[in-house]
Amino acid sequence: MGLPGLEYALPVFTDPLIIGLIILGTIAGVLVGALPGLSSSMAIALLLPFSVYLEPVPAIALLAALYCAGTFGGSITAILINAPGAPPAAATAFDGYPMAVKGEAGRALGISAIASSCGGIFSVIVLLFAAPFLARVAYSFGPAEYFALAVFGLSMLASLSGEAPIKNLIGGCIGLLIATIGVDLTTGVERFTFGVPELYEGIHFIPVLIGLFAVTELLSQAQSLGQEKLSIRLSAVKLPSLDDLRRIKGTILRSSGIGTFIGVLPAEGGTMAAMIGYNEAKRWSDEPDEFGKGAIEGVAGPEAANNAATGGAMVPTLALGIPGSATAAVILGGLQVQGLRPGPYLFDEQPALLYGIFFAMLLSNVLFLLVGLVGAKVFSRISLIPTTLLWPTVFALCFVGAYGLEQSIVDVWIMMIAGLLGFVLKRYGFSPAPIIMGLVLGTLVETSLAQSMIIFDQQWTGFLGRPIALIFFGLAAFSILSAPARAAFRHLLSRRDRTA
Amino acid sequence: MKKAQTARHMRHPDTIVGVVLLVFCAIVYWLTTGFVEVPAMLSQNVPPTFFPRLVLSVVALLSVTLIFSGLGKTPKNTSRIEPAVAVTALIIVVAGVLVGLLGTMLTLSMIAVAIPVAWGERRVRPIGILAIGLPAGIYVIFSLALGIRFPTGLLLEWFV
Repeated sequence: MGLPGLEYALPVFTDPLIIGLIILGTIAGVLVGALPGLSSSMAIALLLPFSVYLEPVPAIALLAALYCAGTFGGSITAILINAPGAPPAAATAFDGYPMAVKGEAGRALGISAIASSCGGIFSVIVLLFAAPFLARVAYSFGPAEYFALAVFGLSMLASLSGEAPIKNLIGGCIGLLIATIGVDLTTGVERFTFGVPELYEGIHFIPVLIGLFAVTELLSQAQSLGQEKLSIRLSAVKLPSLDDLRRIKGTILRSSGIGTFIGVLPAEGGTMAAMIGYNEAKRWSDEPDEFGKGAIEGVAGPEAANNAATGGAMVPTLALGIPGSATAAVILGGLQVQGLRPGPYLFDEQPALLYGIFFAMLLSNVLFLLVGLVGAKVFSRISLIPTTLLWPTVFALCFVGAYGLEQSIVDVWIMMIAGLLGFVLKRYGFSPAPIIMGLVLGTLVETSLAQSMIIFDQQWTGFLGRPIALIFFGLAAFSILSAPARAAFRHLLSRRDRTA
Repeated sequence: MKKAQTARHMRHPDTIVGVVLLVFCAIVYWLTTGFVEVPAMLSQNVPPTFFPRLVLSVVALLSVTLIFSGLGKTPKNTSRIEPAVAVTALIIVVAGVLVGLLGTMLTLSMIAVAIPVAWGERRVRPIGILAIGLPAGIYVIFSLALGIRFPTGLLLEWFV
């Protein structure tokens, strides 16, 4: 059985513009990923307003390449300076940095590049088969099913970044609330516009995105000025030896599967995939005591998993219009900016676009292996760019990015307000990703709920007659209640142990 | 001692955040009462207040949960906000105000000087290069190549 959509691969691989943009996106992604504080989500958010100047296929191919390469790029600084360039690379630092301290930085980076590439390619192949299948299933979805699916997607925020499930859910709801600003589509009534004409069409998510991701990080960088990081010298990146490959092949395969599965779940991204990938690598290892001291499986596990999550995250994003991760939510925004509505019908209407994205991701996963192996030494030096010069440049790009789409200063103010609020929220344990998810899903949630209520004649009980919707509601309840139930169970057990 | 313990619990950020969110919900709910009322036939029985109020109810419920979850926790020591953060925030806001007067390029040039200086950069040469190179680069890429029309500012309009 061959790869589906192969006939669409040729235009991608022979178009010099697309190839050039994929190479550009891959190099930019590795660079951005390697810089602590800069993430692929932020870079994609900054690029989004300018992607409208491109045709849909090259525009989304550029963003997708940046997504894949950015996830790998995070491992470079995780290994060399113990500061993950992006959150999904946090687990890589556990063993990557100890390897670098032992003088094996080149070997660690080589393993990271191979594992990342294998994980990414594995997940894109899964994406090629799973996304059209999921889209076919979604053909039978009506408004009730879409509403339930979106609720399930939002409920998964409860387990995003683990520590603050309630705050993540609140963040998602705040995103939904921001999405209600503007004229109500059904009645034409203004909501929360305060007489500002620019708000009649609602708040565009791009300025909010840029503010929450980039301006918040700018202020966070100001908060952590003067924190010195010890950098390890890198002589050359080494390809893993045959013995190394034999040792890590099982870990890569297992983590690729885990990462793809976690990525497919709405809202769950590379960070969680990497953590589970690391834990599983340790659990299956013959030498679990070596973990934390420089075990090569400890680098391969999280890196294969976090890159596998990129392809996985694109499955629900493209097939259902429900983002699989925060970065996928930004790419979903990119599709919307291009006037496209991701979902099952896109497979019929724009197969060239979708398969173009898939093959762009595939190519990017091969390219960053080369870029990573050849250029890691150069990329490792970009962490030496003084933050005092880097971040004003980032802010200038934020300014231009927020202004660029509508060419409106109001959008610049929205970006600034979102950034300042994002910083305050971050200090109190709120993450920007749930707000973005809520904002991107807002229209879908409201319209599908309104349509369902009209169909059910205002009776909530109407949902009881829709089995698929009930399954999603059940899964939503499970994802919200499983963490507190586990905590209560653990608390009960510890109390019983104390009394015994 | 019990009193001191209670006071400590009351100070937990989650509890305070929960209360602030409840106040926020109350204010936003009050704002929804100002929406123009539409006949049920036009709104098809789904009035414009329906969804915002539903979301607000969920936020309020979660905020109450947050308040109670905060009551059981001991507060963590959070680092104080560094002066550099406040100065950076001020620069951002001032830039937003000044863009109408100075125009985008001059404002970006000002940012390229103000933020590095506020963050402790004292080398004149890199700051100078950034102050000229950054707006110039942005002008070439975004204005000349992509055709974005940036605000020129009142100052330029007065002189030109």
